[in-house]
Amino acid sequence: MKKEIIIKHLGFIVLFNGAFLFLAWIISVFNHETSSIPLLFSALICLIFGLFPLIFVEPTENISFNEGLAIVVIGWLITCLIGMLPYIMWGGEFSIINAWFESVSGYTTTGSTILNNIETLPKGLLFWRSSTHWIGGIGIILFVLLILPQSKNSQLTIVNTEISQLAKMNFQYRSKKIVRVLAIVYISLTLLETILLTVFGMSLFDAVNHSFATIATGGFSTKNMSIAYFNSTSIEIIIIVFMLLSGMHFGLIYGTLARRKENIFRSPIVRSFIIVILIGIVLVAIKLYLSGYYSWWESVRNAAFQVVSLGSTTGFATKDTASWPYFTQMILIYFTIQCAMVGSTSGGLKFDRIYILLKSLWKQVKLVHHPRAVLSIRIGNVNINEQLERQTLLFIVVYIVTFFTTTLILTMMNVDSFTAFSASIATIGNVGPGFENVSSLGNFSSLPGAAKLVLTLNMLLGRLEIFNIIAFFILRKNN
Amino acid sequence: MKTRLKLKIMTGFFLLASLLLIAGAISISEFTKLSKSVNSLIEDNYKTINAAQAMLESLEREDSGILMLMLGQWEEGRIIIESADSSFMLALNIAEGNQTEKDEDIYVAAIKESYSKYRDKWKKPIVNTEKEGNIDWYRNNIHKAFLETKHNVTNLMNLNQESMHAEAYDLKEESRRAIMPGIVAIIAAFIFSILLNFFISKYIISPIGNLSEAIKEYNPGQANISVVKSSDELKKLESEINAFLERLIRDSRK
Repeated sequence: MKKEIIIKHLGFIVLFNGAFLFLAWIISVFNHETSSIPLLFSALICLIFGLFPLIFVEPTENISFNEGLAIVVIGWLITCLIGMLPYIMWGGEFSIINAWFESVSGYTTTGSTILNNIETLPKGLLFWRSSTHWIGGIGIILFVLLILPQSKNSQLTIVNTEISQLAKMNFQYRSKKIVRVLAIVYISLTLLETILLTVFGMSLFDAVNHSFATIATGGFSTKNMSIAYFNSTSIEIIIIVFMLLSGMHFGLIYGTLARRKENIFRSPIVRSFIIVILIGIVLVAIKLYLSGYYSWWESVRNAAFQVVSLGSTTGFATKDTASWPYFTQMILIYFTIQCAMVGSTSGGLKFDRIYILLKSLWKQVKLVHHPRAVLSIRIGNVNINEQLERQTLLFIVVYIVTFFTTTLILTMMNVDSFTAFSASIATIGNVGPGFENVSSLGNFSSLPGAAKLVLTLNMLLGRLEIFNIIAFFILRKNN
Repeated sequence: MKTRLKLKIMTGFFLLASLLLIAGAISISEFTKLSKSVNSLIEDNYKTINAAQAMLESLEREDSGILMLMLGQWEEGRIIIESADSSFMLALNIAEGNQTEKDEDIYVAAIKESYSKYRDKWKKPIVNTEKEGNIDWYRNNIHKAFLETKHNVTNLMNLNQESMHAEAYDLKEESRRAIMPGIVAIIAAFIFSILLNFFISKYIISPIGNLSEAIKEYNPGQANISVVKSSDELKKLESEINAFLERLIRDSRK
């Protein structure tokens, strides 16, 4: 691994953050806010740290997988540190731990917050907060679609199964193409949502912030009441559609727009994902109606929003789900564990792995009846080899063990069991809100400082998919 | 080409110095604002709070004076009332001239109006009239006007106290904003110097070491020395050494 190459690329990441800090500073200056100096100083630090490596390090060719992995893991930690700078310099509710929590929650597109009163934040800081989602979202897409497929065992990369044709292209061609695809899909979706939200009554500032948070499946809102503040069916429908799209493989969205064979309409994963979401909505809506919470229409409206919000790992809210019947809470917890699809901005376990798990179970059932049969798992036209199947099952086990361990650690800190459990799965899944004390319209401020640190580790593990962090530390040891 | 190495090192130190200078400038500017805020806190709110307290005290004294008049003690009663009245008016003038909060003029006007009504009531003779010893007259007229004025003065005091609390909280935040750039700059400068050290070692010290090692192990007849990857003065030095070695070999063959 060449350290200077890693530092240079980290410089680019820092500069990218700096550009958004400058934008946030302009907003702050325009509104005569107290956050202007913290934002400006943070931007200048980014400029200084980002530019410096560019002066020393000569232009380089391709980066290796190991360097790519190091750039992503270290880059994520550095951006989280940069992200907390404006918060700690501004003050208010931001202690050092709270600033770190908010920053990690932003970049990992989790959307959990420690803020009791979001609306007291200056507009510049609100924009920066949403920007961390947007930067984190594009970062994870680049990582998953660009860096991971370079692995020596790229057949083990689950992301390739959905876009096998694209994955087979050589790196030079693929990297250029993927960056272009990404830029088109990511920016277009953000612009389109911003326009639609503005047309349907949101202010431009709120529309931009909510679009950033939706496309990155983050969930930070500019309002204490989240989407409930707007009380608008059309705004909720727009956000539901974009949350669903952001939960899908970005390569497939591009394929759909480019009228390619690999598109969202032909993908068996997308089909199954939508069916599961619809079943979830129906079950939650029926229970809400029968329990006398809302009218039919309101039950469907709230069920659809909350199921898609948690199912896509966004975490916006229109109602406080902590007061809903336990059955609906259990359904929502399932979606918090399941999460959306690989190749999207969503985090956590991913629906694709659940799909492979179910197929694998079915294969085992068949093998009981026909022990000598040679069976394989297929997703559409792509064969899932046994190695990938084993790795997927192992990932699920490690994932479950991780969030149970976190739950245990939180209960050790006297956090009640349901809060601890839901906070653990909501953070490792990068979903955001949990239940009880950390519910959809609540926040994480009441948790002890150490618990907040454990949860930020959870967010990073969920975002970088556990194995990549382990791989990074093994690489560091072997280099 | 000649200045590249120098430029790289200079840029590093320039960025480091800029970081510290900017942090220093921000801290100085924030501390200046902070000291102005402290002054305004004392000048704006504290002055009015003191005046309001003086008004309340004067009102109580006036009330005692009126009670004395009602008991028929004209001399003592008038002395207390007149002294309290003049200290009330003095305090009211201070409050009137120190209006710094939004709608504070409305609060001051309310005090003036209620005090004027109160004053009208005790200006008229009390001793040797039906008002003397008349507790009902006191309850229905004097005490009511007294309470109203007191309420208005308390409102003015609360307005300034609340504003003072809010400003004190802002001061806390401002002082944090003044200190934080300094702390962040110190940490950033520390990390930056490690980075600068890494680059100097990687791109200057290491190539010099490699070059000297290559010269030490150089044998006539072998290919040119090529250990410097960058394209700065060190690369030039390497090519000069190669040219020098070639010249030496050529001369020794002669």
